[in-house]
Amino acid sequence: MNEKAPILQFHAIRALAARGFKTYVESPSAYVVLFVFYLLTGYLFTLPLFLTGQASIAGMKDFVPLLLTFLVPALAMGLLAEEMRSGTFETLATLPLEDWDITLGKYLGFAAFYLLAVAGLLFYPIVLSFMVQPPSHLDWGQTIGILCSFSCLGLMYGAIGLYASSLHKNQIVALVTAFLIAFVLFLFGKLDNFFSGPMATIVEFVGSDSHMMAMSKGVFDSRDIIYFASVIFGFLYLTAQRLSNRRF
Amino acid sequence: MIRAFNLTKRYASLTAVDKISFDIPKGQVVGFLGPNGAGKTTTMRLLTAYLPASSGRCEVMGHDVSKEPLAVRRSIGYLPENNPLYEDFEVTDTLHYVGKLRGMTDPARRMERVKTVLKACGLRSAVGKKVSELSKGYRQRLGLAGAIIHDPDVLILDEPTSGLDPNQVLEVRELIKDLKKEKTLLLSTHILSEVTATCDRIIIISAGKIAADGTAVEISGSLQNKNRLYLEMKGPDSAVSEALSALPGAARVYPDQQDGGRSGFIVESEAKTDLREAAFNLAAEKRWPILAMSQKTLSLEEVFRKLTQEQPQP
Repeated sequence: MNEKAPILQFHAIRALAARGFKTYVESPSAYVVLFVFYLLTGYLFTLPLFLTGQASIAGMKDFVPLLLTFLVPALAMGLLAEEMRSGTFETLATLPLEDWDITLGKYLGFAAFYLLAVAGLLFYPIVLSFMVQPPSHLDWGQTIGILCSFSCLGLMYGAIGLYASSLHKNQIVALVTAFLIAFVLFLFGKLDNFFSGPMATIVEFVGSDSHMMAMSKGVFDSRDIIYFASVIFGFLYLTAQRLSNRRF
Repeated sequence: MIRAFNLTKRYASLTAVDKISFDIPKGQVVGFLGPNGAGKTTTMRLLTAYLPASSGRCEVMGHDVSKEPLAVRRSIGYLPENNPLYEDFEVTDTLHYVGKLRGMTDPARRMERVKTVLKACGLRSAVGKKVSELSKGYRQRLGLAGAIIHDPDVLILDEPTSGLDPNQVLEVRELIKDLKKEKTLLLSTHILSEVTATCDRIIIISAGKIAADGTAVEISGSLQNKNRLYLEMKGPDSAVSEALSALPGAARVYPDQQDGGRSGFIVESEAKTDLREAAFNLAAEKRWPILAMSQKTLSLEEVFRKLTQEQPQP
């Protein structure tokens, strides 16, 4: 409706993001998600450590992507749905804000909390670095690569979750929708062996697995970065469009 | 200040607002009156650029709502229906948050403004409380405080007193009276005493259309095509009734029961005929003392019922 190109209002984006972050910090449900996240990652870390003496967090990278398809949508499901359910969206939407301001503000609040949660995984390698002698046995390149891959994957699922949250005021609908989209992307990454030729390439590219796996080895390929960035931008764009269809 | 031209909002099977037009000049307080589902909230949502109109257009402070929604939203303070608030916020957090989103980036000036609206809305005793702990009256004050944090010229309040107890209604009404000194105000309600207490002008909306527009006196006057005189005389009922019917100009006489069990007669006549003098002479001649005599006008309740029940509900 508005012909003008959106000019971002950073003061508003910052206020929205800070509010979103604070909501997570004070929300019991966010702590439940964190509890599950750290419990399972802790298990995946300690099991190989004590069974085989493997001093790395690599054991997480097979299971965590699947875990994130559920946990990240659970974190993101309330971002817009809760505002719509409680009616505060009407207040927000009648403030002088563009759709992109709301979208980015909400997303960045989520992103800050999520990245902090992933940064919490640093606890394991730091503990390891004290246990492993000499400390050089711990592969920091791989460790940072794995954490970056979890970050990118979670940020991507978060953008999907934000979009799903804009679709309906029911948070459970948002959760299931986001999980399904994220799970399909996850599944595509595992299915490429069943295809051949160009189809296999397409399935592999669409799936999140290959992009994540390269990064978790410490290889930062621009194609992977572009993949994550474009999926994130795509879903943020869809969210802004969705908001614009709901109002001006 | 606020203008609407043939403003229309259609949903799939329902026309919620049907070609309504009005012009609200600066400084006027207008009450938007109508039964539930008449289209009040939809009209307000169109004016605040929350919903796009299906056709027609509206302007606020000279800005076309569909072309410059941000400019419109900047100049409006809006209190949505049911006053949605963030339950986990404290009172001052709510106001700071809205202030920040409205671009009040300087903390010192924002603080100043927050203090001003806290005082104006009588919220100082609620500082430090969470929104979830506030009574309904205080929540409403907080909603209003948030709507005026940026000192807007135009205020749009959707049912500002709904769900409040009579004391709280009075408090909020006082607050609105203070605000109306400097602002153009459009408030919706289905409570009739609300509009007579606070508004300069009434727009009655029914089934998405404007049914009447004017002051309370103008609206009830325009519907008044008969003059009705209530008379209570001390005399035999049948004789009184007969004598009143014989008065020149009297069209119809029927008994009427007043509050408190007293009974008398209503004498209907043409709008321009005044029967009071003739009635007095009749009483003097027959020696029937007059116990009560009053001119009956249509109350706002009757006007409202008449205007909103004659049209089919959506």
